[in-house]
Formats: sequence, structure tokens, C-alpha cells
Amino acid sequence: MRTLLRRRLLLPLFALFAVLGPAIITANVDNDAPGIATYSKAGAVYGYSMLWLLWPTLVVLVVVQEICARMGVATSKGLADLIREHFGVKVTFILMVALLVTNLANTAGEFAGLAGGAEIFHLSRYIAVPLGALIIWLVILRGSYQSVERIFLLACVVYLAYPISGILARPDWHFVLRESVRPALKADVNAVAMAVGIVGTTIAPWMQFYLQATVVEKGTRASDYSLARWDVIIGSVFAIIVVFFIVIACAATLYPVAEMETAAQAAAALAPLGKYASLLFAIGLLNAALFAACILPLSTTYSICEGIGWERGVGRTFRQAPQFYLLYTGMIVLGAGIVLLPKAPLLRIMLFSQVMNGLLLPVILILMLLLVTRKSLMGELAASRSYAIFCWVLCALLIALDLFLLASSIGMV
Amino acid sequence: MIFFAEAFLSDLVRMNVVDRDGISVGRLQDVAVKLGEAFPPATKITVRRRGEPLVLPWSAVRSVSTEAITLNEPLAELEPVQIEEGEVLLEESVLDKQIVDVEGHRVVRVNDLKLGAVNGAVRLVAAGVGTRSLLRRLTLEGLAIRLWGLFGRRPHERLIGWEHVHSLDPTSQHLQLDLERAKLARLNPADLADIIGELSALDRATVVSSLDEETAAAALEEMDFELQQSVLNSLEDEKAADILDEVNPDDAADLVGDLPRERADQLLNLMEPEEASDVKQLLKYPDDTAGGLMTPEFIAVPSGMTAQEAIGYLRKAGEEAETIYYCYVVDSNGRLIGVFELRDLIVAPPTKAIDEIMVRDVVAVSPGTSHEETAGLMARYNLLAIPVVDDQRRPLGIVTIDDAIEAVLPARLKKQLPRIFAR
Repeated sequence: MRTLLRRRLLLPLFALFAVLGPAIITANVDNDAPGIATYSKAGAVYGYSMLWLLWPTLVVLVVVQEICARMGVATSKGLADLIREHFGVKVTFILMVALLVTNLANTAGEFAGLAGGAEIFHLSRYIAVPLGALIIWLVILRGSYQSVERIFLLACVVYLAYPISGILARPDWHFVLRESVRPALKADVNAVAMAVGIVGTTIAPWMQFYLQATVVEKGTRASDYSLARWDVIIGSVFAIIVVFFIVIACAATLYPVAEMETAAQAAAALAPLGKYASLLFAIGLLNAALFAACILPLSTTYSICEGIGWERGVGRTFRQAPQFYLLYTGMIVLGAGIVLLPKAPLLRIMLFSQVMNGLLLPVILILMLLLVTRKSLMGELAASRSYAIFCWVLCALLIALDLFLLASSIGMV
Repeated sequence: MIFFAEAFLSDLVRMNVVDRDGISVGRLQDVAVKLGEAFPPATKITVRRRGEPLVLPWSAVRSVSTEAITLNEPLAELEPVQIEEGEVLLEESVLDKQIVDVEGHRVVRVNDLKLGAVNGAVRLVAAGVGTRSLLRRLTLEGLAIRLWGLFGRRPHERLIGWEHVHSLDPTSQHLQLDLERAKLARLNPADLADIIGELSALDRATVVSSLDEETAAAALEEMDFELQQSVLNSLEDEKAADILDEVNPDDAADLVGDLPRERADQLLNLMEPEEASDVKQLLKYPDDTAGGLMTPEFIAVPSGMTAQEAIGYLRKAGEEAETIYYCYVVDSNGRLIGVFELRDLIVAPPTKAIDEIMVRDVVAVSPGTSHEETAGLMARYNLLAIPVVDDQRRPLGIVTIDDAIEAVLPARLKKQLPRIFAR
């Protein structure tokens, strides 16, 4: 009976998952705790007026991820590997140190989200955070692949909490639709910074490493490249839909508020308008924080070991790959530890991670574009001339926005 | 002429190159070595200068000091040459890339390369893969030595002698050098399978294609299922079919059975007719039955032979069979009537009839028997192999103990942990 159930019901589901794998997970992980904080704030402070921005964000997300998927398929190597082989050890080393620092701050951000989400359920952060860290550590290092895959799959489904909570918030749909297609931006430094922040948190540097690693691992052949592209498009659309509902949930219920710092505040503020909306929002936040805290340290450690040339992978023993295990454990312990410090400067950590993301992104984008246009590396999958120009223009725009965000963030720190 | 004992490539690259009269020519960009020897000799250097890089023969170098590389002609009389086939540029194609450490059975990244004087020529002698060579590249070596020194240690150098290195560089793969092929063929198939698993899909394809079919087949049998599929997918049809010819039919059937229909047919058409028909026979049985596990390559001796004749028969037939420890006896209708162990055969007097040494009560399964039941019977009767018979009791094949164990082992023991980051 059990096998029958597995065959009839679960296998088709996994088969679907196998086709639509890497990019969907990546795009979902991308809506992590700091991301949700940013989107909530956009909704709460600026109402529906930022919704139109999701269109350009979607385009950029698809293009950036598509480049990674393309490189993964064409070279069957990870991004850190390619950077090491083509730009040498110095560039790689500096980049990997930057990636480590940035993602350590990001990981702390995820644990801060976990703490905030847990506190809505009246669970002390001093219990929730160490427990979460331990679960993450054990699941990745001791779990089987099947169990991890199922957990990740489930985590993706939990993101549906946001659309439901968005609908429960009873937004004015007519108004929502109009704002979604009407570009408008107040000529106000904070509003522009907010807009850039939305684009910036959606395209985080570590995602590129993670996505390419998973595409490589799936072993998609060049002839099946169009499938990988669909994976990217579907994943990105799903991620943006989730963002859309986070924004409208907060806009419908909280707007206008003057200032809002964390996603947990948003979840708490939803409470008077319906218990379920608030709970769903909090569950979504917890899920996102745990999901990202699972993948972020692992993907970072993996990229660093790949770039430097250390033994890596959870299939190795500690004696075979000491650096891998030390880095991975260290990131989780430090990330969780920072959040537990009394009077932890969480806002500063979040801002710091945003600034570091901002510094790192242009460098990685430029390296990616240099790689993807190399005919000798990419073969027939090398970006065509017109596509390359399009990407460079987009990249330049992104970098300009990025520098703006950076300047305003530094001003705030 | 030997002008230095040893040097690291990272120390040479970007060093000033001056001509005989001390006039600057440019900076050293790369060193080329000629492949095909255990320690490939340095044959060319490239010098970076304005315009095209200048390629010079290694013989144009007079001396290498810590400050500069001095050439033995004046600048005007230097004769530029070309990099030829079989030569590989170290900085461009080997440094920072991955190589196979054949002795340590691992894939490692090259942090530095060591050149040294061997047999009267400057040769590539070792690859540096340790922390120290990494630090040297980052120009942090001095600092690190002092830091490590505080704890009474030294950063670890870890050199792999080039005779134990298999380069993954496409040029050397393309040349199909016997020397390189032999390095990998020396490995235990299980270690080779692990190494292939660590490579990127493209490297996998080139490495497996460069192996002889028997080595490739032995390694393929040792891989887990997903890796097998990935390797088969990355190979050209011709090569894949040649390798499948050498794989045990039961494993080959498992492999072909899971390929897309079209490619499976294509590969079967390209295989040797005899091997292909074995595989096709096995493909008829579902995966989770004894039929799906069995191999048709077993020893069947006709009833009535003497021990002497049977040993002679084994000599001829033994090479193809999966195991010769159990020999099955069939009557004139091809029905299974007995079995004897190799030991019984060897200790028997040469003239004794095999019918007298065989055990008549043979435990056998049918093709539809489940994995669990098959393995259970083997455990109960302490068998290394069990015959699979049709309803007329004619033997179709045997299931060997290794396949039976693997089939019933819980999935979690076979493969642990996320594939995503498990490479």
C-alpha cells in the first residue's frame, strides 16, 4: 500500500520537481528573511505604489539567473570554479573572503528573522535560534538526500502562505491592478532607496553561485538547455508572485506607517485584521528564514572550497574535508551566535549585509558577463552579440542602482 | 646545460626577461612543456611585450636567477617560434585547473607547478596542491611562515610528483597519450569510479573516452546509478556502445533499460550482436525481480563429462563467466540437474564423472522471484550465486551475491546525503 501510494502520488510530484528543480528552489530561497522585511516595508510604507517595480525586477532576475544556468549547462562547472580557472587565484581569494563575510552577515539576518518569527508564537529566541541552528546542521550533515529534497520541496510549498495571507488581507483589487502597471516614483531619496532595495535584495550575489551549482549537479545537457531556461522563468515568476502578495498584504493592512524595521513587526501588526493572516505571515517568515539559513551557509562553504580547491561535500568525512566542515559549522554557529548576543545590533547587521551584497554584486555580474560571452568556454551557448549588449546595459543599470543603494546605506550606517 | 635546480612557476611568471646584453625584452608570461614523458621537458617560453607575445624556444634561455631570465642572444637575433601540437602552456592550461592525483585517488586543484632539472633538462616535476603553494600565489608566503612559526609549525607544501598526475587539460586528453591512459588504468576500478564522479560532466566525458574500453567498463560497474547515467549521457554513441560491450550484461541491461527508448535502441544497434542480444534478453524482466538482477554469463557443463573434461571446459569458458566457483550441470534437454563447486572439481580424480560430484538438489529461483526472496534464499543456503530457471527448469542466468546485496540494501545506506553538494 505504501509503495502504491508512493508510486501513484509522490513519484509524479518528484518527477515534476526534477524538471523544474534548481531555479525554483533558488528563486524561493531568494525570498529570505531580510528580503521579506524589505518587501513588507515597501508595502507598509509606500502602499501599492511600488508594485510596478516588480516587472523590471522580474526581467533582471530572469536574465541574471539565465546566465548562470547557461554557464552551468555549457561548462558543467560551478561559478567559483570558472572564476578561479579564468581570473586566477588572487581575484578568487578576495572574492571568496568577501562572499564569506557577506554571507555570514546574511546568515545572521536569517537567524534574526527566525528569532522574530518565533517570538510571534511566544517562543523565546534563546530557544528558537539554537534549536533552529542545530536542526539545520543535522539535516544537512546527517540527513539523507531524499529527506532533504522533501524538506526543500515542502519549504517551497509553504511560500503559498503569502498569497493566502495577501488574499485574506482583502486588498482593493481594482486599485492593486492599476498600481501594478502604472510606473510612478516619488522624487524622494527614501523612496528611491526603497525601490533600489527591492531590486537589490532580489538579486543577491550568493544566489548565482547556488543556482549554477545546482544546475551543474542536475547535469542538464546542452540540448536540453531550453528546459533549464523554462525552469529559470517559472522559478522567477513564482518568486515575484510571492513578493507581490507580501507587498499587497502589508499595503492593504498597514499602509500608511512612517517606518518599519523587521518582517516580524509586519506579521505582528497584521494581527488585529485577522488571526490567520498574521499567523500565515509568521509561518512564511519562519519557513523562509530556516530555508535560507539551511542553504546559505552550505552554498557559501561549497563555493569557497570549490574556488580555493579544498575537498568539499557532505559525502566526505571530517578528516577528508576539515575546511569544509569547519567553515560550514562556523558560519552557522557565528550566524546564530550574533543574534543571541544581548543588544545585538541586528539592524546594523542587516544593513551591513545589504552593503556587502551591494559591493559584491557588480563584481560578480561583470565576471559572469565576461565568462558568458567567451566563445572558447561556452561553445554554441555563448551569448549572442545582441543578447550580450542587452545584458551589459542591464548590468550597467543594475550597478548604477546598486551604487546608489550603497551610498544611501553607508549614509545610514 | 643546467642552470637551476628547481623553481616554482609562480616565481618565474612575470619575471623580467633580458637579452644577452641585459636589454629588457619583456616579462615571462608562460612556459610550455612537451607532453608524453613522465616528467615533461620545458620546450618554449612566451614573453609578454607590446604587441604579440613572443614565443621563444627554451634553448634560447641562458640562465635563470632570482632577478631575471637571461637569454643567450641579443634581442635583434632572437628567432620567434610557434607553440606546436603536443605542447601545453602551463600557466594558461594547467595552473588553477583540476588534475587527478593518481596516487591519492583524488581530484585536486593546482595551486602551483614546480620545475626542476632532471636528466639534463628542465622538466615539470610536480604540482603544488597544498596551503603553502596557495599562499605563495597570494604573495602571503613570508607572512604565513612567520605566523605558522609562532606555533612551531610550517605551512604544508604538499607536492604531487608529476608522474602521478593525470592532467585534465583538453590538449593532453585529445592526444590520447598511452602514458596518460596507463596512469588511470593502474587505478582500482572503484577508485577510478570515485575520481570520475568528482569531475565535471565535460571532464568526465573526455576522461572516460580516453580510457580503454575494459578499464572504462570496470569503472562504470563500480559507479552508483546516477553517475552511470550521467557518464553514458555524456559519451558519444559509438564509444558508449563499445564500453557497454565490456560491461557485465546484467549491469548493461540495467543501464540501457533506464535510457530514453530511442538512445537505448541506438546503443543496442551499435553493440556487438552477441552482447546486445544478452542485454535484450535481460531487458524483458522487470527491475525488481531476480530476472532483472541476473547475468546470463555463467558456467553450464553438460552431464556426462569427466572432471578432467570439465576443467578443460572451464579453461575455455571461464573467462566470460561472471563467476566460475559454481558450475551448473544440465542434461541433454538443457534442464538444470545439479551444481558443484570449483573446489569439488579440483580435488576430484580426473576420471570421475561430474554427475558423481555434483549436488542434485539445486536451489533455484524463477525470473519473477522478488529481490528480497532471492537474497533470503542465498542467505539461508549460504550461496555466492543462485541460478534463475524457466518453468522447464532450464537455467537462464545466475544472480550473484554482490548484486543481491545491493538490491536489498536500504536506499539510505547506498547513498547518503544531498547530491547537490556531495560531489
